[in-house]
Amino acid sequence: MPGRPHPLLTYLLASFVAALTFSTIARAQAAPQQAASKSASSPAPKRDLSGVWQYQGTGGADSMTPDKDMPPMTPWAKARFDSEKPGYGPRGAPGGNDPILQCDPIGFPRIMFMPTPNELVQLHDRVLQFWEREHEWRPIWTDGRQLPTDADPTWFGYAIGHWEGDDTFVVQSAGFNDKTWLGPTGFPHSEEMRVTERYHRIDHDTIVYDMTVTDPMAYTKPIVAPQRIMKLKPHEEIEEQPCVWSLENEFAKRIREPAAHNPAK
Amino acid sequence: MFITDECGSSSTGFIACGKTLIFVIPRRVAHRGISLVLRLDQREIPHFVRNDKIEYFFRSLFSLWVLVLARTNPHRLKSKIPTRSGPAPLNKKSQRDLMRRYGRAMLLAFSFAALPIPAQQQGNPKAAPSPAPKRDLSGVWHYEGTGGSEPIAPDNLIPPMTPWAQAKYDEEKPGYGRKRAPGGNDPILQCDPMGFPRVMFMYTLFEFVQVPGRVVQFFERDHEYRSIWTDGRSLPKDADPTWYGYAIGHWEGDDTFVVESAGFNDKTWLGSTGYPHSEDMRVTERYRRVDRNTILYDITVTDPKAYAQPIVGPRRIMKLRTKDELLEEICVPSEEKSFADRVAEPATPKPTK
Repeated sequence: MPGRPHPLLTYLLASFVAALTFSTIARAQAAPQQAASKSASSPAPKRDLSGVWQYQGTGGADSMTPDKDMPPMTPWAKARFDSEKPGYGPRGAPGGNDPILQCDPIGFPRIMFMPTPNELVQLHDRVLQFWEREHEWRPIWTDGRQLPTDADPTWFGYAIGHWEGDDTFVVQSAGFNDKTWLGPTGFPHSEEMRVTERYHRIDHDTIVYDMTVTDPMAYTKPIVAPQRIMKLKPHEEIEEQPCVWSLENEFAKRIREPAAHNPAK
Repeated sequence: MFITDECGSSSTGFIACGKTLIFVIPRRVAHRGISLVLRLDQREIPHFVRNDKIEYFFRSLFSLWVLVLARTNPHRLKSKIPTRSGPAPLNKKSQRDLMRRYGRAMLLAFSFAALPIPAQQQGNPKAAPSPAPKRDLSGVWHYEGTGGSEPIAPDNLIPPMTPWAQAKYDEEKPGYGRKRAPGGNDPILQCDPMGFPRVMFMYTLFEFVQVPGRVVQFFERDHEYRSIWTDGRSLPKDADPTWYGYAIGHWEGDDTFVVESAGFNDKTWLGSTGYPHSEDMRVTERYRRVDRNTILYDITVTDPKAYAQPIVGPRRIMKLRTKDELLEEICVPSEEKSFADRVAEPATPKPTK
């Protein structure tokens, strides 16, 4: 795509930066509170999240939570974890099997922690969430329905939402397949995964974002992500950034695989 | 419905080869959609579960091979159908189970396929439809068409190509139409984006959502969408070429939404039978809502770099689906590849010389 860096290049570069700053993750975690308290923005509109939002992370592909904060895995999850070969983190290695390297869908919730913007559009019966990354989207139903008890497992799940007060949108989701990772450093989940998110709009420009993943088949305790900040980007529009297998394949043949087979010494 | 004696790729990327009778039932006719392929001369009986689709060859009555593509909950089916992958013969009981399960759908499919429905009738159900709401296309819509993936226009309505387009066309190996051949290079077989306008002629659902400043069009196929801007902006002169282009829309009167789009890359085909286009392509569409349940759809593609005249698609009819919601139907490269390795490629006849 002329004018834009290749998505995978962006990913690799950004994740490299993320890896470099991994040691300072503790400081990064403290950042949200700072950012929140500093902002002197106009008050938030009531029960409204419309707009393009940018997650202010490390600037790379982040993990849902630092590896050290992950709860213990069940034997089922550990076996899967051992077969995963991520490109990043303490287990980073060449020749990985991260599904997104072949353009399989990145899935939810991993997509939430990419350095690309997402947009929320509110309708009378649902909130639409668009992610620039992979040109993906999901509906978050707000018409009072319940989560289905036997939804077909999908990559982005089935989501319902409701407001708590005038400033916090709570989203619950389930119905995920177990083919996606929770982040670039690996970590599996099962089809039983349930995700709870809280989008707390503290002022016009700021959402404080919390996420909890509950998956008793894979983890002995819920995974609680560090609180994150999303900023409104009033002048931006979501662009079309699909993952295109033929382009990825070409990239893999020309650059990624030769590099993996001849690691720099 | 059609018969092919070579190879055809279904809208899900499935390639059928050999003497094959293929027809696709509109998804809402059979519960959540069932496609059938009757296979006349294949001896292999592969079957497997792929994502939420059960794909199954089995030997029916009359010694036909039948492929059932059924969208259903895999958890419910796993208990009834063996799920190990790879070729395996079916015993009598399994055959009976399948016939019991799908027999009615197959009969329905046969009768449906035997009854070509004129387009005009599709648009005029017996009950007088209520009038269309003004300047509103919101809802889930279904282009029924032939029930399969269609080209933008029949071959005989495609205008002469320029030498540039002819050269590209000669390299295309589609799974359908007069140029169909095994081992095709249709980009969608490797899950490259189908792109616009090809995605319009699939039998899967799409949805319009109207919000201030734009109309969002969601396509169930490939889980795609595009924004059609209605805030008065013009088409950008130098948009980055994309798969779904850049679109603006306006209303003519209270019932016709006119969409103009440009900014396409030249990597997509205009339909399942091939036909290239250039980055200069511009598309004009008219969505005319003639009553509450019906849109008349016209499309014109202008691409002087590729075609001597504009391509005018035949008028199509889209129907409102009030009870449907779009499902997540993503083309997943690893699944397509595994399907190709295990079934599609082994099923392709080897060259005889």
